[in-house]
Amino acid sequence: MISYGRLLGELATIALVLLAGVYATVVIDLWAGRMVARAPVRAFRALTFPIRQTALFLLQQRATTERPDAPLWALAPALLAAIAAASLLVIPFSSQTSAAGIESGIVYFGALMALVMIAVYLNGWSANSVFPIIGGYRFIAEALSYEMPLALVLIGAALPAQSLSVSAIVISQDSLWNVIRQPLGLPIYLIAGLGVAFWGPLALPDAADLAGGTESELSGVQLLLWRTARIAVLVAVAAMGAAVFLGGWTGPWLPGAVWMTLKTIALIFIMVGAGHLVARVRLERFVLVAWTVLIPLALLDVFAAGAVVLAGSPR
Amino acid sequence: MAGARVEVVLGQRPGILKRLAAMAPVRVFAISGSESAEIETLIADLELEQEIVLTDSPRSANVLLAMGEFPGSMQESARRIHDQLCGPRRTLWLRQNVSAPSEAIFPKAIREDTHCDLALLLRKIHRDLLTGVEPSEEPILPDEEPALWRGVGPYGQGGTGMTGGVPYGRPMPETAPDRDGLALDQLSVRVGPFFRPFPSGLTLALKLQGDVIQEAAVAENPFDAKKLNPDFESGDPFIRALSEPVPVVEMEMARARHHLHWLCNALQVHGLGALGLRTRAIARSLSPGMIAPIAQLRKILRYSRSVSLVGAGVGVIQPDKIRDRGLGPVARAAGLREDLRMTDPAYQELGFEPVVHAENDVRSRLWQRLDEAMQSVTLAARSGNATSGGGGRVEGPRGVITLDGNSLPLLLGLLPDLLYGLEWGDAVATVVSLDLDLRDVRSQRVS
Repeated sequence: MISYGRLLGELATIALVLLAGVYATVVIDLWAGRMVARAPVRAFRALTFPIRQTALFLLQQRATTERPDAPLWALAPALLAAIAAASLLVIPFSSQTSAAGIESGIVYFGALMALVMIAVYLNGWSANSVFPIIGGYRFIAEALSYEMPLALVLIGAALPAQSLSVSAIVISQDSLWNVIRQPLGLPIYLIAGLGVAFWGPLALPDAADLAGGTESELSGVQLLLWRTARIAVLVAVAAMGAAVFLGGWTGPWLPGAVWMTLKTIALIFIMVGAGHLVARVRLERFVLVAWTVLIPLALLDVFAAGAVVLAGSPR
Repeated sequence: MAGARVEVVLGQRPGILKRLAAMAPVRVFAISGSESAEIETLIADLELEQEIVLTDSPRSANVLLAMGEFPGSMQESARRIHDQLCGPRRTLWLRQNVSAPSEAIFPKAIREDTHCDLALLLRKIHRDLLTGVEPSEEPILPDEEPALWRGVGPYGQGGTGMTGGVPYGRPMPETAPDRDGLALDQLSVRVGPFFRPFPSGLTLALKLQGDVIQEAAVAENPFDAKKLNPDFESGDPFIRALSEPVPVVEMEMARARHHLHWLCNALQVHGLGALGLRTRAIARSLSPGMIAPIAQLRKILRYSRSVSLVGAGVGVIQPDKIRDRGLGPVARAAGLREDLRMTDPAYQELGFEPVVHAENDVRSRLWQRLDEAMQSVTLAARSGNATSGGGGRVEGPRGVITLDGNSLPLLLGLLPDLLYGLEWGDAVATVVSLDLDLRDVRSQRVS
């Protein structure tokens, strides 16, 4: 029987974790940007930046365009946020806490990440404007190129656990983290993760050369929701990376949830830092590199992981 | 509907929300017209302010920063940009001579001259706007469709034939063969004159299939030589050097700063806003011989392979089209050893040898300007009291300039062929790499 109280509690926890992650990511991004720019950081201003920015967007009027598809335009940020929140359901933040103990959690996560493409394209298409729709086209064009390596390295990480459950994958790293066992896995996962969250070098749909692309016609609450949802996807990607490659909640002295949080923040820092140091990749070049380098390397990762499992299994 | 819900929230707790919003970074969309030499410096400094954000799109900005005088053909676009800012909004119009008569492009704008403390003023405008001290500006243009079309034609689509309509005053997309021979929809769009990555005033009329350019035409330059403000050029050492000797140190430092400011804009377009700001800060504090920070920046760009990622093989120009045309860094990035300084005795004494890159693409032009900036800083440190100029021809940061000519018409003429077949991102990178300035209209004086 479903306990609605427990369900609500878990949903509230997921929302809280996601919002805290988004808040931390915005501050880390601001701080990292100032570091790269060699500009001074005022701690109080940086820490309160998300609150002040949110207040401004809440006061700003919502933009409209000529004949937009209004329902879908409103749905796009909600869909993106829902994808991020739903993906957190299967990520265990400690040995006891995973909102939904789905046995095939890795497959579920991969499927949700594929849906990001729909949210981004909806946001671009429904505005009925040139730059947003080009942003949407770009994301569709790049999507398969990051989805394939993402799925492959997640399968590779699941092989030692001989389970598709994320908790089982964390437990399987008790003796050795996957980041060491499968050295190709995490770098490929992070590159693909930048694609999923259309961040930094892979921020193709929302790029400056499109005046913001899919978000170029957004303002006010809608822009706030879109950016929050986009960062939430980045947080979800980092949290899953921490679970399947960095041993999740495992670690000495500190509680499991603290380890998981620290590892997630470390991955967020790497991805955000890449956004400040590596230029946006040309779409054509990314697709070429993905299919000629990333996917073959991801396949190699899976084959190597499978070989190790077979070698270690009883005959 | 969402707007109405926000109003309810505001109605419940207006004080805290408004106060917090007033403390948020000022979101500014900047547009510029003519007479902008001094104003460009102001905007460059503005980017270094932590609490001011220059937005790529007017939609998410609250303050429109209009700079200089806007020629007639740009005024309608400027008003449209104004109306695209979502409320609450305010306009600050900076002019060199604020009391000079002007057309009422922005009727409710706050007018200031260029000597104001721009960052402080923007913060005050933002604070007053968000706390309700100052009202939001109303739209300038009427809220009506751009053309009468409803009910016209057999299907009410504004024209004759199923696809001959002009709904909203625009032709329906036509089909045309793409680069693979397929017949695909072709979208006609105009980009400019205030598209942020482009130089002010540049408008491209494009036919796009997806984001691939099938046809590009450059609209007429809106800036008019007859209305050129003489003050625009007064502080430019390269213009002075046309008629009188100018210290080499002054010219080389100006060249280095010019290249670094260009690099900042290019990095921002390519998604490296933080490195762009670092470049801007270096340009501001640059002194003769200060090569280390530029070298460090070069190292970061080299190790991150950023320059290759954005520009390898993009925007290649046939060297024959630019040979002996005085295109400066663009020519030298194509492997052509062309530089007036090679024959200048002052520079010969300094052992000047032009920097040359061979790849002739966007990547090459980026390295070219970065390396020339480093070379200029080094030359400035070694030049002592040497002077150069007075001969009517000078090697400027964009190429050879004379009293009535520059490289602008040639570069604009190259654009249609150069952009054909490029994806939009590559097209933007190519335009940026040419370092165009449509306000430099000396070449129009000949006619």
